[in-house]
Amino acid sequence: MTSWKEQLGDRIPEPLAGEVDLFEGQIELKKQGKLDDKIFAETRLRRGVYGQRYDNGLRDDGTGQKPLDFPCGDLTKGPDTVWDAPGMMRIKIPFGKMTADQLDVLSELAEENSDSILHVTTRQDIQLHFIHIEESPDMMRRLAAVGITTREACGNSVRNVTACEYAGVCTTQAFDVTPYANAITQYLLGHPDVQDFGRKFKIAFSGCEDNPCGLVTFHDLGAVAHVRDGKRGFRVVVGGGLGAVPVQAKVLAEFCPEEELLPLAQAVSRVFARLGEKQSRARARIKFLVQKVGIEEFKRLVAEEREGLRPDERWTAFLDDLHSTDEKPIREPGALPSDAPLGFQKWAKHNLKPQAQEGYYTAIVKLPLGDFTSTQGRALADLAREFTGDAMRCTVEQNLAFRWLSGADAVAFYQRLDALHMAEPGAGTITDMTSCPGTDTCKLGISASRGVTGELRKRLTLVEDQLDPAVQRLRMKASGCFNSCGQHHAADIGFTGVSRQVGGRKVPHFNVVLGGQWTENAKSYGLVVGAVPSKNIPKAVELITQHYLENREGDESFQAFIARVGKKEFRKVLAPIQKPPSYEEDPSYYSDWGDPREYGIGDIGVGECAGEIVPFVEFGLQEAEQQLHDAQDALEAGQAAAAAKGGFTAMVTAAKALVRHLEVQVKDDADDVVSNFRTHLYDTEIFHDPFAKGKFANYLLKMHGDKSFEDANEETAHRALDEAQLFLEAAHACYQRLTQAASAAAAE
Amino acid sequence: MEPTKFQVKVYTKTGEIELEKLVPVFHQWIREKKIPDELLIDVADYAHVPQGPGVVLIGHQSDYYLDVADDRPGLLYSRKRGFDGDFQAGIDDAFRRALLACKMLEEESGLDFEFETSEVLFRVQDRLHAPNEESTYEAYEPALRRATSIFFGDSASFERVGGPREPFAVRIKTGANASVDETLARA
Repeated sequence: MTSWKEQLGDRIPEPLAGEVDLFEGQIELKKQGKLDDKIFAETRLRRGVYGQRYDNGLRDDGTGQKPLDFPCGDLTKGPDTVWDAPGMMRIKIPFGKMTADQLDVLSELAEENSDSILHVTTRQDIQLHFIHIEESPDMMRRLAAVGITTREACGNSVRNVTACEYAGVCTTQAFDVTPYANAITQYLLGHPDVQDFGRKFKIAFSGCEDNPCGLVTFHDLGAVAHVRDGKRGFRVVVGGGLGAVPVQAKVLAEFCPEEELLPLAQAVSRVFARLGEKQSRARARIKFLVQKVGIEEFKRLVAEEREGLRPDERWTAFLDDLHSTDEKPIREPGALPSDAPLGFQKWAKHNLKPQAQEGYYTAIVKLPLGDFTSTQGRALADLAREFTGDAMRCTVEQNLAFRWLSGADAVAFYQRLDALHMAEPGAGTITDMTSCPGTDTCKLGISASRGVTGELRKRLTLVEDQLDPAVQRLRMKASGCFNSCGQHHAADIGFTGVSRQVGGRKVPHFNVVLGGQWTENAKSYGLVVGAVPSKNIPKAVELITQHYLENREGDESFQAFIARVGKKEFRKVLAPIQKPPSYEEDPSYYSDWGDPREYGIGDIGVGECAGEIVPFVEFGLQEAEQQLHDAQDALEAGQAAAAAKGGFTAMVTAAKALVRHLEVQVKDDADDVVSNFRTHLYDTEIFHDPFAKGKFANYLLKMHGDKSFEDANEETAHRALDEAQLFLEAAHACYQRLTQAASAAAAE
Repeated sequence: MEPTKFQVKVYTKTGEIELEKLVPVFHQWIREKKIPDELLIDVADYAHVPQGPGVVLIGHQSDYYLDVADDRPGLLYSRKRGFDGDFQAGIDDAFRRALLACKMLEEESGLDFEFETSEVLFRVQDRLHAPNEESTYEAYEPALRRATSIFFGDSASFERVGGPREPFAVRIKTGANASVDETLARA
């Protein structure tokens, strides 16, 4: 076998196989200079192929920015993004659920294409770093063969749908949200109504109101399970988000019946696509739209949109089998042993949680900074096969949860983890910090969030047994910049990277954010107290926790304490360590944790979190061009009928893009597209050329009517392709006229 | 057979390594372009991962790890792409680059590193073309024997290691005990 495509054959399911082939074709077109930079960037982002620090071909080596002379020359994979520069692949793991076979493949890819490290993100994805773009199609094929897609993992699209890692086994849930999270994942993946967003869109599910795992309040769309009068439904919230200005989501529906969940999400998506900001990426998340129009008007817009939706059987089809996502334990239930070894007891205190199902437990494997190796990944897959079955979940705290562990097996499971050096205790405690990638690999990172997190972990792990339980319970989270991927706003003690100028040099700092609430789905966000030099952050943690322990009233929680004393008092606590020494006194303050280079911010690039704002219609027209190109190849290969059919398909694709641009719902089949094209673009004369009038539109209408492509010979196929070419030209011209008209209207 | 995705690991003599000391060294290698025919890009620090890849010098053609897998620290050379030569030359080159990196680390004054040449691990991170099975071993064994002969002499013994899910790997007992410098000089 010479390629993964051949090797895997029909183990790659459609439509994933076709999508990867298309992406591979787009890579080739880009190399030939036939694809626009912005369109290709958004295309790869929507396939999960992301940029990484230094991919503009420049890197500060501590003495100044130096070029990285990649062999690709001027070839780019997006604006200011060098083709050969290593990138990141984000792999969507819906609600974090992973099988042993999937973990095996992920581990293989980490070894063969990355650096043997798998990284769990705060949104239950797996990320691999230092990937070359040309290796990504085969990686996607191998993932697709085990049921994983990277589609819409990045870019302006619906990102990974997250949910509590305890969904289905939790003692406090209203019901298992897994089948609903799965249904919305499948329904919105690639859905036409989610292709024209100005920014990303994140959805989260929670099984109950009180526990933290779902964190719905800082999501674009959140759903909390409720049962009302014996009927299942969700409290749906919208417009939450972190970032520089964290916003709590607003209630969109106090109770959305289960059968209305998917159409409601679709209606929200359509409102966001239609009215969301498209020019200024800084204000393009849905939270800004909700703020702008107000939640009541937003509700009205969504209700109006919902009214106009075409019914779709998928809205309720999944309700017929809500148990399709159930996991089946592979071992008999059992009790925990009463005489377990001390190491196990220490581990079990925070890492083992009883399930709703008696005799079963969920075990949390605590991952340092969310990282584990390929070798460990294979061993964990073996543990799943032996003890729990395919019941692993990535967690939002960057750990791995193994559900359905029999109490009778818990000690053996722990011992096997221990042999892998993976039985670190203290899950969900102060030593279990989460962090975004920060300056390690992120283009936007300002400070080394992983560096400071690693340092704090190291120091706190040494003394964790001596820590007061009230301190042990605290959660700490770090973000390398204000974009808040480390979710620091929802931590007891959070950090966000900032830079400060001291004596003509830059010094890495972190803003200290105190009193955020992780519980009740991240009900409230913390207060910014002030910036502290990065190298003083361990001291800051010591001062903050000491002040809390010495001044709390009784069993006062940290959040209650912060709320009572206010940030002014903590400013006084931190004041002595906020000013760094001069460079001459201590140059170590002028470099960041884990990075000996003199600190600077010259390496900060343009982030790709926002994606490129490319209207859906442009993707559609580009796809039509590709189809026409393939059809021309078919004609050259003597396949006249295939060529003519390809020409027709290209026209339909272009027509569909224009119809959708007019915000008309349209199905994928040609009859519906042509019917809508006739109604909305031909009869209205919007498509008409100023000189040729309806001539080019008639090429499509006629070919659709007489189906002449079905028995095309070389001559008629040639003519069909000529007509398709002219139709595509007219489609581009029509789109330009529509854009100009919209701009003129906006100017007025 | 494509001469890419080869890995060669040469073990350190000491079992305990202070990984954090590698970070400034690798940054310096980037700054000073210490490996002139390679584009060196960045340093990835995974010291927090037990038995992990340690500290990695990320390059375009190759990566250099101070790897601590199996609790056995060693320099792991990993070619990713872009070798201009035939299969045998590709294997020879991987051994040479691994040993050259060892030599450079031994010469770093702050590290106090010493590598042993009695044992080397060879791996191919390409399950499509080199699955970890006997047929792959048969295809690779002659070239590996020639490469080890160049660097270590003719008394090497080979053992294929790992299971079918793991990358193709051969543990090579070289039968040699020379220093890295002498080993390179011999070639």
